[in-house]
Amino acid sequence: MKITAKQYAKALFESVSAAPSDKVGEVVKNFCRALKANNQTSQLGKIIGQFEQIWDKKNNIVKAEIISALKLNSETEKIIEQYLKKTVGAKEIELSRKVDKNILGGVIIKYGDRILDESLRTRLAEFSQTLKG
Amino acid sequence: MEKENKKISNGVNNTKDFIVEQIKEQISGFKAEAEEKTFGQVTEVGDGIARVSGLSDAMMSEMLEFKTASGPAYGVVLNLEEDSVGAIILGDASSIKEGDEVIALKRILEVPVGDELVGRVVNPLGKALDGKGDLKTKKSYPIEKIAPGVIARESVNQPVQTGIKAVDAMIPIGRGQRELIIGDRQIGKTAIAIDAIINQKGQHMKCIYVAIGQKESKVASIVARLEKFGAMKYTTVVMAGASDPAPLLYIAPYAGCAMAEYFLDKGEDVLIIYDDLSKHAVSYREVSLLLRRPPGREAFPGDVFYLHSRLLERACKLNKDYGGGSITALPLIETQAGDVSAYIPTNVISITDGQIYLESDLFYKGNRPAINAGLSVSRVGNKAQIKAMKKVAGRMRLEAAQYRELEAFAQFGSDLDKETKEKLERGRRMIEVLKQDQYVPMPVGQQVVIFFALISGFLDNVPVEKVKDFEAGLLEYVQDVNSDLVKEIEKTGELTESEEKKLEKTIKDYKDTLDYLESDKVKSS
Repeated sequence: MKITAKQYAKALFESVSAAPSDKVGEVVKNFCRALKANNQTSQLGKIIGQFEQIWDKKNNIVKAEIISALKLNSETEKIIEQYLKKTVGAKEIELSRKVDKNILGGVIIKYGDRILDESLRTRLAEFSQTLKG
Repeated sequence: MEKENKKISNGVNNTKDFIVEQIKEQISGFKAEAEEKTFGQVTEVGDGIARVSGLSDAMMSEMLEFKTASGPAYGVVLNLEEDSVGAIILGDASSIKEGDEVIALKRILEVPVGDELVGRVVNPLGKALDGKGDLKTKKSYPIEKIAPGVIARESVNQPVQTGIKAVDAMIPIGRGQRELIIGDRQIGKTAIAIDAIINQKGQHMKCIYVAIGQKESKVASIVARLEKFGAMKYTTVVMAGASDPAPLLYIAPYAGCAMAEYFLDKGEDVLIIYDDLSKHAVSYREVSLLLRRPPGREAFPGDVFYLHSRLLERACKLNKDYGGGSITALPLIETQAGDVSAYIPTNVISITDGQIYLESDLFYKGNRPAINAGLSVSRVGNKAQIKAMKKVAGRMRLEAAQYRELEAFAQFGSDLDKETKEKLERGRRMIEVLKQDQYVPMPVGQQVVIFFALISGFLDNVPVEKVKDFEAGLLEYVQDVNSDLVKEIEKTGELTESEEKKLEKTIKDYKDTLDYLESDKVKSS
């Protein structure tokens, strides 16, 4: 049976967290050897992605992305971070920022697989829909 | 008062003000609420289906919006897996790429419904295909709906007059019934359905014709036919053509049924035709296999029975408390070389309330419509048949079936007793009467007249090859001499003894004008 990237990532996560901190390097090395022996090195990118997901989930870290029309000041960012911490209940929020003039105004916040669309463009599109109907 | 004066003096300005006011109202009424939505990413796309990761809260048959470079595309969730969902893409899938963002819209797929759809040709998503401009419907209905329960229903009690003699006499259909039309390709399944639509003129019936995987040329000619007979005034055509992707074919009958349910909710009667469900099953098989659902018998997925049962269960007759509307469904199934024991035909036969079985042998012999009386049944329709028809056609199905058997038997022996001979002669004339051309549905009153002539033995001395002429002549004669009679039968639905006597006399009078009758002497020799 084929071992999926997710299964590899899970195995790696479990062995890493079980190992004492000075042995982690060795565990990872062994893991890479096992991958090579199974001819699965091409899956490495996917495994890293899955590993990150598992790591974030276990450590209660949520990745969030803020898309705004203009660069936000740190105060606003803090408010958003606080809001996210409260709604998601996460210990830590890993924020990434993106500036996109196309959304005209407001912000779009993405976290986990949720999206909160508070952009002016979406609002206008919705409004034009209500005018039509 | 001032306002009114202003209106009169300055009408143009006022309408402008009115529009501005209205917009102001709309603006103040517009609530901007950012809804939290789940999103995901396309991981795999092709053949009309997509796999999407993320979307943790996705529901079954929820609508998805694919954000592509060239505007939004829509899809429907069909598979929920551990960490991805499988979705079918409605419409053009070519613009969707791997990595595109997908948003779950938190609602089930809906199609526009309303009176605006009548007389139009639309695709399963309710987009006009007939070039008569966009549809401005106000309402939309979900395509999947749980069928009405026992409390809301009542048993079938009103007839659907198809105008086809063989059907109305032997296999009557009631409003709210599901009657399968089954047979090989090219032997007149669609013809029966189209004739039934044409005959609904003035019968307070809305018709919906759902073409699933049909050639567009065929649909175009059907629409032209319906238009020619004025049937498009109460008909909607839902078309998913042969070149449309499988997901559209799959949703087509459900979309058609949703459009029918709008009229049902208004308390109207609807006749819906699914042409045909074999192609529908095939398209569902395609979608299922692409979604990697395990194949079963004939490679159909395990839930192919539910696919059709939930669709046909939505045909119903509601009782007065629920509006009294009805949906009559005529699904079509194409068999391969008369094989009714294949998977899909047996499924649909067991779901429906009877079937009209068309046979290629009969078709090539010239018995058109090629209905096999022995294998065709209507399990509930006879309750809805009008009394007059019941009286004249009560035993016809049995007699037609018996005649077929006798005929085969009579080929071996030459010495037959008188009774058998008479039965054969009567049967031959009955078959002749049941023959009917396409696009000439016959009103039920006229049907009663000709069947009455048949069972009363007035046709026994008419030569078999002259039966058609006799029928046409008789109906014309009755129309001229005694037109009230037919109207009365249609109105009351009954054939009283006095009416019978009148009819008898009229037929006798008519026969006196003929010169081609066989004399009794010739017959007995």
